[in-house]
Amino acid sequence: MRVWSVLEGIGWRPVASYFFMLLVFFTLLKLYAVDKITIGVMVAISLLFSAFLALVLYRRVIVPLNEVIEAARDIARGNLSRRINIISQDEIGDLAKSINDMADRLRHTIGEITAEKDRAQAMLDSMSDVVLALDRKGRIIMVNPAVETTFGIPQVDCVGRSVVEVIRNFDLDMVLQRVQATNSQLIREVAIISPEPRIFILRATPLVGNTKGGMVVLLRDISERKRMEQMRSEFMSNVSHELRTPLTSIQGFVETLQDNGTEDPQMIRHFLGIIAAETARLSNLVDDLLDLSRIEERRVVRRWQREDIGTLVDQVLTVCGSRADDKQIAIKASLQPRLPRLFGDPDLLAQVLINLVDNAIRYTSAGGTITISGLVEGDEIRIDVADNGAGIPAENIPRIFERFYRVEKARTRGMGGTGLGLAIVKHIIKGHGGRVDVKSVVGKGTVFSIFLPLEIPVTLPAAGSFYLH
Amino acid sequence: MAPRHNFDKQLKEIQQDILRLGSLVEQALYDSVQALISLDVAAAGQVIMKDELIDQLCLEIEEKCVWVIATQQPMAGDLRMAVAGIKIIISLERMGDHCVDISRATMCLSGGALTAHSVEYIPEMADIVQQMVKDGLDAYVTRNVEKAKAMCAMDDLVDFIYNRIFRELIACVKEHPVHAYQMAYLLYVNRYIERIADHATNIGEAVIYLVTGERRELN
Ligand SMILES: Nc1ncnc2c1ncn2[C@@H]1O[C@H](COP(=O)(O)OP(=O)(O)OP(=O)(O)O)[C@@H](O)[C@H]1O
Ligand SMILES: [Mg+2]
Repeated sequence: MRVWSVLEGIGWRPVASYFFMLLVFFTLLKLYAVDKITIGVMVAISLLFSAFLALVLYRRVIVPLNEVIEAARDIARGNLSRRINIISQDEIGDLAKSINDMADRLRHTIGEITAEKDRAQAMLDSMSDVVLALDRKGRIIMVNPAVETTFGIPQVDCVGRSVVEVIRNFDLDMVLQRVQATNSQLIREVAIISPEPRIFILRATPLVGNTKGGMVVLLRDISERKRMEQMRSEFMSNVSHELRTPLTSIQGFVETLQDNGTEDPQMIRHFLGIIAAETARLSNLVDDLLDLSRIEERRVVRRWQREDIGTLVDQVLTVCGSRADDKQIAIKASLQPRLPRLFGDPDLLAQVLINLVDNAIRYTSAGGTITISGLVEGDEIRIDVADNGAGIPAENIPRIFERFYRVEKARTRGMGGTGLGLAIVKHIIKGHGGRVDVKSVVGKGTVFSIFLPLEIPVTLPAAGSFYLH
Repeated sequence: MAPRHNFDKQLKEIQQDILRLGSLVEQALYDSVQALISLDVAAAGQVIMKDELIDQLCLEIEEKCVWVIATQQPMAGDLRMAVAGIKIIISLERMGDHCVDISRATMCLSGGALTAHSVEYIPEMADIVQQMVKDGLDAYVTRNVEKAKAMCAMDDLVDFIYNRIFRELIACVKEHPVHAYQMAYLLYVNRYIERIADHATNIGEAVIYLVTGERRELN
């Protein structure tokens, strides 16, 4: 049995050729007069000899070669850690060594490629933009997980489908068809309505090289940016409108005076009065805008500092006191004893109180009273600015913190407001991690309350850009 | 082998065209309701203009369907695919027309401001109908019978809201006869949106027919 398997391993050809060679050798011997050897002995000896040679061949060549073949197959199948244990000094040893070297190299290279691929995959996975790779027929061959968060479509459901089947949008489809046809990159904005209306910037790039015919599609959500752009431009047009109005009126009166108004002194005084009021309004607006840009520059509160509320109130009284006196309005302060100090930017906080008190004076008729009170409520400090003036109608309350919003355009315009005061207040308080509240009864009065945290909040909301809030 | 392969390609192409048409109609519905709410005449005009594209695409797909039926003489599932395709595009085309109707109403209304009260419910209903159209087309892509049935069930909700809006608008007319003109148009719009929902259920039925071979009235 074993002999048979050995023979099978060697094959019949070498055995036959050894046998044949011996036969020839002995025939020659016989020709040279050695007649003691009979044919039978000769055959027996040659058979034995060839069997011995075959065994040597089997041990030294066939077995190691078989191992080499087995190992090479294993490596080809992907088992790159397989090595051959042959250390003989002959050609087979060399062969084994080079196969081992090859396996080493393969393993190294594949490791590198895998790491590279993992890095690329990790980058794609962490992107918030949707990336799609399409084949020549427009079918999706790869997509990153952002498709799931952006469009609510499971990543696995996309592969093998065409884009219309996954993201149903006509413009998108048109752009992809164009790119397919012209084989050149296109960048477009597309509005996609589901699952919610959003605007995307779409970049479709045809692939060149090996994967010729496919393309890569990138979709970036720019709705937020669009919204901000729009708000900023609205703000700008508001500002220019606000600047335009008093300027037009000043210009008109100045021209009137230049042309023909010089005769009647009373008229001149009247016109100059209007011009003065409008100029005041302009300078008021410019001041507010400067305040804004000052706050804007700081973005978030930079100078965190402990400040006594009493000091702030004194500061407010020096700024607003004379105007209150002019209108015979009394300003009272009632602060809880041993009130903890405020934490924040003292300049900005004073600005908040000044704006609130300024409003209270402006919208309260002569003889009224304004009360500034401070108390601790839970883990917040609450500061109220209360007046007994005109009050704000309930339906206007939600809007008074908007920029340029004034309750009664005509009335308050006469009083010179620009509608930025409360917007600034809200912006500053938000930057301090606090909030503002209003309670008002028409004809009775208004209370503005600001709430500031006793300690600095761990995560402060970014004040962001004022223009955009 | 070759003809079959070719045939599959044609069916696939028809399906993608139907989805393109669907995307246009979905957009038209969204745009027309948006234009109505903001009384944006320009946007309404856009919807009316784009309807031509819908009609044209519709014709093309119909021709492709007929061509497939005539030349390939499909059987069973394949035939159903072509027939369901025709049913779906007819529904989509009608929806597009109703979007045009809504936009026309917007143009007529654009004189004055909408009374806040009357536009309160219409967007709510429009949202549901928009979702129905989306679900119907999604069900078509994925051959999802359950989704199609669920979508058709939403039609009851739409009918309910339709009736409520109808009563509200009538009450409004009685209370403020000055707004009668506006209310009349809103009554129309209400009706158009409700009809779009009906057409959406037709799509759902076509999907069910396509997958199971059953013909069913679901509304
Ligand atoms: N204490 C108050 N009593 C009554 N109305 C008020 C009071 N405070 C604010 N308002 C209303 O809120 C509106 C917005 O106030 P805001 O301070 O933002 O603007 P303003 O006072 O008009 O202009 P300015 O930017 O010069 O302060 C005011 O126009 C006014 O109608
Ligand atoms: Mg003010």
